[in-house]
Amino acid sequence: MININKSSWDLMVAHAEKLFPNECCGAMLGNIDGDVKNVTQAVAIENSYTGAQGARYELRPEDLLEADRKARAAGLDLIGIFHSHPDCDAYFSKTDLENSCPWYSFVVLSIKGGKFDHANSFLPNAEQTDAPKEELTWPKS
Amino acid sequence: MAKVLIPTPLRQFADKKDSVELAGTTVAEVMAALTEQFPTLRKQLFTDEGKLRSFVNVYLNDEDIRYLKKDATPVAATDTLSIVPSIAGGAPAVGLAGGSL
Repeated sequence: MININKSSWDLMVAHAEKLFPNECCGAMLGNIDGDVKNVTQAVAIENSYTGAQGARYELRPEDLLEADRKARAAGLDLIGIFHSHPDCDAYFSKTDLENSCPWYSFVVLSIKGGKFDHANSFLPNAEQTDAPKEELTWPKS
Repeated sequence: MAKVLIPTPLRQFADKKDSVELAGTTVAEVMAALTEQFPTLRKQLFTDEGKLRSFVNVYLNDEDIRYLKKDATPVAATDTLSIVPSIAGGAPAVGLAGGSL
């Protein structure tokens, strides 16, 4: 399961709502305790997709490398990626799956009418053929 | 010995190490040394044909090796290699509620 703390969650939602109706993206840093991932820091990253960003996002590898360096410097791990689905449910799309990697948790935030609606987390498999859900928790206040 | 930084999810295949020091004078030699020392990493990084998997990028310090000399890029003992995935995605106009695919 993956737990996201309040400051990280607030940043992720604010980033997603700010970029609406475009998709946002970013990295989640924290630590792993057995089967539990705890996100303690979220990093907003520029959506580098060069076309219309209402239904697409892309992370520059060098931005992800920078996030990993930031994590290591803080004694944290890069444990997940987040992005938003504007006016769309938080599911793992075919595009998401085909452009994913099996190493990280992928949190999808559904933003409807500019406001957060719901979220899910997924774990893509190595073959990029399926992405089962994983339990996701965040502060509900 | 060049340093290779291991991404968090791959440390389970590398004796839980976050980095390893490996011998080699090119990217290909260092990556070969990496998968020789940790054979289960190979499937994570390479296809059955021995090519880097489509989502795997290798950086020599701050440079993507695709823009250098790829596998033949020279590596010095002071260099750091990073393994960085390509990640993208997006939602089509019509979504499916809640589930995966």
